[in-house]
Amino acid sequence: MLNLFKPRPTSYAVRLSDTETTFTVKRGESLLSSALSAGIKWPFKCKVGSCGTCKCKLIDGKIKAQLDFGYVLDMSEIQDGYILACQSILKSDIQVSVNLTK
Amino acid sequence: MKFYVNARYLIVPFMSLIAIAGILIGGSFAWVGVALFGLNTIIDTLTKNIHLPADFDETGESYGIKGFQYAVMFLMLPVFIVLQLVLAYRIFQYTSLTPIETAAFLGVSYEVGTSGLNLIGATLSSGLWAGLGIIYGHELSHNKKEGFFVSRLIMALSGASHFTYAHVYNHHLDLGHEDDAATAPRGRNIYAHAWLSHMGQSRFSYNLEKERLSKRGSSALHFDNRWILGYLYSLPSIVLFVWAGGLIGVAALFSVWVIANFLLEALNFMGHYGLIRTEGAVEHRHSWDNDSVFTSWFFIEIGRQCDHHVRGETYFWELDDVEGPNYGIGYFSLFVLTLIPPLFKAYVQKHLDNWDEKYASSEEKVIAAQFS
Repeated sequence: MLNLFKPRPTSYAVRLSDTETTFTVKRGESLLSSALSAGIKWPFKCKVGSCGTCKCKLIDGKIKAQLDFGYVLDMSEIQDGYILACQSILKSDIQVSVNLTK
Repeated sequence: MKFYVNARYLIVPFMSLIAIAGILIGGSFAWVGVALFGLNTIIDTLTKNIHLPADFDETGESYGIKGFQYAVMFLMLPVFIVLQLVLAYRIFQYTSLTPIETAAFLGVSYEVGTSGLNLIGATLSSGLWAGLGIIYGHELSHNKKEGFFVSRLIMALSGASHFTYAHVYNHHLDLGHEDDAATAPRGRNIYAHAWLSHMGQSRFSYNLEKERLSKRGSSALHFDNRWILGYLYSLPSIVLFVWAGGLIGVAALFSVWVIANFLLEALNFMGHYGLIRTEGAVEHRHSWDNDSVFTSWFFIEIGRQCDHHVRGETYFWELDDVEGPNYGIGYFSLFVLTLIPPLFKAYVQKHLDNWDEKYASSEEKVIAAQFS
């Protein structure tokens, strides 16, 4: 109950496990748009959650999915922690793994 | 500046309320929604040469207030529900043979009962303004979960809840390609497109659900099938109109749905007619912009298709002119042309020729040549 009155962070930190790169994501912004703003060459195509190009693996932390990932990702991918960066809003600091060479 | 930027997108909410008031007042006022549509066509045509860029402050931040714009879009759901309720109320009066007489409420006189002719006016008004709900259904389909659900409900009022999924997972991905039902190939007219696009998107939405459920090991006939659920969201409208007027009620609701879906498909038709995309990412050249001032404000920038399809995550008030293919006139004016296919064909040809020459890639030119 008291958590309701705790001030929420205005941004969260993201660490890319493969490159040790870090950047911040403002509350309410998507992981993809913040990564692109930070100059990271994150693969993407549609930005609306339909192509799957921006998928990455959530290693640690919490996100809130804006659309159902089940249309684009397989069940096994979802169970393995894969998420769509363009449809992910952060709920904590996170660590992700993404293939930036796609 | 903030007030100006946010208030200019209130034309549809304001006019929707006028259309509702017209049906409630009754008599020839039931036609107000139709008259407004005509008036808008005139304004749009007269202002076709005014094109304004999006407004940003000196730091590059938009003047749009997200909380306000979202509140308006969410509030449009009850507005469209009320639009159906007032039409049902008039149908009930007509079928129960309520005598036509004048009464007053808070000093405003209105007509109790309705003639058949004015009921047609009320039905046409409802259809046209329900159809304009598309602009909110569309914008909310691209945003957070809550917005996505409201989008589904708004579209369900027009029997088109499948649109929300088909738009995101089909149209945005396959734009300009034959796999996208919403992209009209060269030579198709708006009437054929309205049917083919509607059915194609619904079929896509069904197959999308079937595939999603099969990944979970479930059958397509499942309570979580969102294609089925979408049509179930339309059930309250059907029950309301059957109750209000039996067969006449069903005919009126069917008319509203046909008009609303025709407008939805007209927007798809105008947004991408004849454009071609081969493999690769969607680029500005794969959409037509319609960004004359009245179209921009009225349709909450849905006419900035070139920017929207490249930055699908961007709020409508931040979309801008990206110097993509542009018809040069607004949606209302172009819509009138599309209704007369030979006229539209003659008008659009020079724009297609220009697209082939200036925008198309070499692969796209090869496909374009097959159409000519």
